[in-house]
Amino acid sequence: MRRADVTRRRFTLLVGMAGVAPVAGAGPLTAESVVQRIQARLGGDWPETGPDGFKAGDAATAVKGIATTAMATLDVLKQAAKANANLILTYEPTFYSRADGHGPGGFGAGDPVVQAKRQFIEKSGLVVFRLRDHWQARKENEMVTGLASALGWRAHRVNNKDAVYEIPPASAEATVAAIRSRLNLRAGLRAAGDRKATVRRVLLFPGSMTPATMWQRYSEVDMIVAGEVREWENTHYAADMFTAGEKRALVTIGRVVSEEPGMRACAEWLRTVVKEVPAKWIGVGDPYWRPA
Amino acid sequence: MTAREVVELIKKNQGIPWNQRSTRDTFKIGNPDTTVKGIATTMMTTFDMLKRANAAGLNMVITHEDTFWNDRDDTQDLTENPLYKLKTEYILKNDMVVWRDHDHMHAMTPDYTVVGELRSVGIPGGEHATMRPGILTIPETTFGEFAAQVKRSSGARALRCVGDPKAKVSKILIGPGYATPRMMPEVDVVIGGEQQEADGAFDNMEYVLDAVSLGMPKGVIMLGHVISEQAGMEDFGNWLRTFLHDVPIRFVPAEEPYW
Repeated sequence: MRRADVTRRRFTLLVGMAGVAPVAGAGPLTAESVVQRIQARLGGDWPETGPDGFKAGDAATAVKGIATTAMATLDVLKQAAKANANLILTYEPTFYSRADGHGPGGFGAGDPVVQAKRQFIEKSGLVVFRLRDHWQARKENEMVTGLASALGWRAHRVNNKDAVYEIPPASAEATVAAIRSRLNLRAGLRAAGDRKATVRRVLLFPGSMTPATMWQRYSEVDMIVAGEVREWENTHYAADMFTAGEKRALVTIGRVVSEEPGMRACAEWLRTVVKEVPAKWIGVGDPYWRPA
Repeated sequence: MTAREVVELIKKNQGIPWNQRSTRDTFKIGNPDTTVKGIATTMMTTFDMLKRANAAGLNMVITHEDTFWNDRDDTQDLTENPLYKLKTEYILKNDMVVWRDHDHMHAMTPDYTVVGELRSVGIPGGEHATMRPGILTIPETTFGEFAAQVKRSSGARALRCVGDPKAKVSKILIGPGYATPRMMPEVDVVIGGEQQEADGAFDNMEYVLDAVSLGMPKGVIMLGHVISEQAGMEDFGNWLRTFLHDVPIRFVPAEEPYW
């Protein structure tokens, strides 16, 4: 109860600050003030215990440019620094675990890769903020529509409240080939089920899909395109459906890859929220390869 | 001999105190008092595998992984699911019974899933491996050459690698299934079945991408869950034969699910 009160008060404060933000020359645009503006626009509670928050760098840093990304890898951070974008908004963790360098798990503060990444961030004057739950919870879920756009299916949405798309019919194999080419995928794309099925209705599911969602939704569509699933749960279900004679397919494209278009859309949205500095998206790409 | 008697013998021979609270290592479906005509050992009770076992006259399935598409084999939300009905009806109609041995297999010495995994990726000397065999040394090669050897040797169609193919590697850390080990400073290559890609207890994929960006010779190979634990179920069947003499025992592989 107490936290809810504090949060509501803080939220009102944030909205108020967003209202006065356009006052130019009132001081540098800090990472903290950018984040406050984002928080006010997205609304909701921002509990300290949630995944969203500052992960590295000094929140008082003056922002020269903003980069959004599905995952703040070192390569992404290097590109951001080069492009003069010193505030990075990342959908996934920076320090290799859900705790993101703040708690147990991950690789430990003394790990050489963790240390080198922290040093690079510090030396380059970067600030990293994780923006996941609140971006995903937005009513206009651009994690879904962004992926649909990247696949060229945006206009085929069946219902604005759902993530089912009715695309021109093609075989599952041909649809998978189109997805591979559209998203420039390598070994990160894996497909199970009936490769000969005719695919018309597709459910898009960026990120990680649970078994319960799979059981509930798979029979409504010809294909599910998800970021990742657990093989011994969802993929096993798709394989059994194939054995049962069901003409459907499950395609996983990789968790991060599935989240990239949504963070690209986030950069576009940011330009409407922060007009003083440029915002750009930096891609990670399919991290997986397969030997011949 | 009944399925229940088979399980009692396995428990006695597995050589570790039985954890009665395991949600995994239990009968999943079928009557435990069914007379066993033959045993099929498998990595996962797929519908396809069940049909092949039944055709071969094997009515007891000993599986390492789940039957009903979730780790706990919780069927509460599946009672109205048509695939669940089809699969359960097939099992019951054919007088089959399914029992899972997962946690205790991994706690056993050797852990046959790892014994089989090492053999299937072409790393010799793993006949007595436990679930965490420690850092293994192979003759130095490039990560790309090693990954190609692993793919050829395991037959994995949908294997995935992260890392620099030109990196020189020799220190290997391996784990079965979802128990993909955490990359360590003194390790060059981690091999596992599968792992959540990001936002987990430790995210190997991003870690290795960053290590490569720093010029460190590191790589990860994800074999796929089925492939990583498949071969060991043949070894497990061989082990069963050392104390189950009167019933046919056959390894019936689960198919790699990917195209």
